Amino acid sequence: MKRISLMGCPNVGKSVVFSRLTGVNVISSNYPGTTVDFTKGNTCIRGEKFELIDVPGTYSLEPTSKAEEVAQSMLQEADVVINVADATHLERNLYLTLEILGSKKPTIVALNLWDESKHIGVDIDVAKLEKLLGVTIVPTCAISGEGIKELASELCVARVSKTIEPMSEDERWAKVGEIIGKVQVVHHRHHTIRERIADITVKPITGIPIAIIVILLMFISIIGIGNWIIEHLMDPLFYNYYGPWIIDVVNSFAPEGLLHDILIGQSTGESLDFTQSFGLLTTGLYVPFAMVLPFVITFYFMLSLLEDTGYLPRLAVLVDTGLHKLGLHGSAIVPTILGFGCNVPGALATRVMETKKQQFIAATLMAIAVPCMAQSAMIFGILGREGLKWVLIVYVTLFVVYVLIGLLLKKLVKGESPELLLEVPPYRKPDCRTLLKKTWTKVYGFLAEAVPFVLLGVLVVNLLYISGLIDVLSAVFAPILTTLFGLPEGAIVALIMGFLRKDIAIGILLPLGMTPQQLTISCVILCTYFPCVATFVVLIRELGVMAMLKATGLMIVVTVAVGVALNLILNVI
Amino acid sequence: MSDMNQDREVVPLTTLFPGERAKIVALGHGAGRQRHFRTMGLMEGKIVEIVATQPARGPVVLNVEGTQIAIGRGMARRILIQKI
Ligand SMILES: Nc1nc2c(ncn2[C@@H]2O[C@H](COP(=O)(O)OP(=O)(O)O)[C@@H](O)[C@H]2O)c(=O)[nH]1
Ligand SMILES: [Mg+2]
Repeated sequence: MKRISLMGCPNVGKSVVFSRLTGVNVISSNYPGTTVDFTKGNTCIRGEKFELIDVPGTYSLEPTSKAEEVAQSMLQEADVVINVADATHLERNLYLTLEILGSKKPTIVALNLWDESKHIGVDIDVAKLEKLLGVTIVPTCAISGEGIKELASELCVARVSKTIEPMSEDERWAKVGEIIGKVQVVHHRHHTIRERIADITVKPITGIPIAIIVILLMFISIIGIGNWIIEHLMDPLFYNYYGPWIIDVVNSFAPEGLLHDILIGQSTGESLDFTQSFGLLTTGLYVPFAMVLPFVITFYFMLSLLEDTGYLPRLAVLVDTGLHKLGLHGSAIVPTILGFGCNVPGALATRVMETKKQQFIAATLMAIAVPCMAQSAMIFGILGREGLKWVLIVYVTLFVVYVLIGLLLKKLVKGESPELLLEVPPYRKPDCRTLLKKTWTKVYGFLAEAVPFVLLGVLVVNLLYISGLIDVLSAVFAPILTTLFGLPEGAIVALIMGFLRKDIAIGILLPLGMTPQQLTISCVILCTYFPCVATFVVLIRELGVMAMLKATGLMIVVTVAVGVALNLILNVI
Repeated sequence: MSDMNQDREVVPLTTLFPGERAKIVALGHGAGRQRHFRTMGLMEGKIVEIVATQPARGPVVLNVEGTQIAIGRGMARRILIQKI
């Protein structure tokens, strides 16, 4: 099977081209560096099978970073190269193009974002460029699919350039300048509305208030829409239809006994409580589908919107000064926001930080103080019943912890904290279908990951109670929990479950009949004490065992400190 | 025109105010960083404009021929320009 490498600078639309050619969904976003790992897919063109590789975006092949090394080796292994170039920034894209052509691999160039280049008044003479580069060039608009067919049919007849030879760095830049002079005309145009919005959202005087509004709006709409879905869709569905039905079904073959209790808990037709029964088929399904999913859907939709419009890099610029005080820089906002969805992709995204020090700080802060959406959903759902005040206390506490530990880690961790260097891409109108597809991909990812784990969690809880192991554990940990944090001894089950999944852990708190103070403390320490297993595994891979040990030590210290402090403060006021 | 420009003082990029335009004269920094700059469109001879300056010694946002680049203040100080 022939191997095709899809190469190009970051954020030029490689992933969209890849999806178009293979039908495989890969995450694309309007933020440089979204593709860190490479993705493989198969495609069939004119009866011939090809393996297609979405190579991480790089500006050059000089191996100065990991991504460039990967790109270099992918080029060596390729039989054919598709070089995706950004027509709106041809000059800087040509450098990589010349490097690729110099390697003497059969290549075709996809001149992507062709629609956008017309829009901003860039004219490129494709015929002349083809002659100068000595390979086929296909203008494309990957988002709408324009030009993709031609691209596919030209693949089979990709040529090795006869006009471009290997050359030195300086020669290459000179060549780029020469080619641009011959093929590109930029029409001067007045500021478009998009550019004006771009300026307003990055200037501090207007940008900072706008950023605050955007974040507040996001928060409010997630809670609002999430609650609306629960109230009008999920709860009626579960309580009026699914509940009575499943109780009938289970009663028909297991009217009582162990199996009955594990499947649906103590639920009867009259006292149906999906949050407290702790059956596999009641709480085990209600938590992921009815309590968490509505918020997860809204969160990922909003996040995709922020990503695809190109707002995130602007947010990164605006928060850069603040994050610098914590030893990070603006780009750290990306793993943080992703972490609010799920800590796992958040942990992976810490790779955008350049140095070990920054990656460690970003990952540790996220693991300690950023609750994932599943956890947040349960906090809204359970603590929210006691009043908004308590929910706010949880988030304000976590924010304070985030800042304090950041200040501390900046001092303690050795290494460098380089400054921000980031391209701020133009705003793009998000494509509705891409947006929905992306939201669905992430929501599906959540379900595939969450449902089995939640079910497992519910099962383990049942086994703990049935076997009586719970009494042993309670007896051992009770002194710590009660004296330090003022929590009832039953809370230990929640802390154990928190290793598995945080949402189910918070669910366990409900039947314990805690005071609002105790619930608040529990929610905070469930967030800080340890990340869930999935996140933990990813963090070990990203940071290494030693660093993760240090981070874990920090988590324990922080949890004890915060738990004790909250216990003192909340019981005074 | 080019003669006139040659007389202009060469100053750090950070002395440029929002709205002013200047020509990039030297990129400073090592070879790797310079290549990174160039591939972002930041290279000698290009006209640069400041879009926004973040307070408290935060980053500056540049516009180089339509590409916006956010760059830390310390890094920006080592890039040299001639005002026009
Ligand atoms: N207008 C327009 N936008 C595009 C086109 N191709 C990709 N995009 C958008 O450009 C952004 C970057 O795409 P992505 O595939 O993630 O780039 P990659 O980093 O090269 O993989 C996304 O927001 C896409 O929706 C195109 O042809 N026209
Ligand atoms: Mg990509």
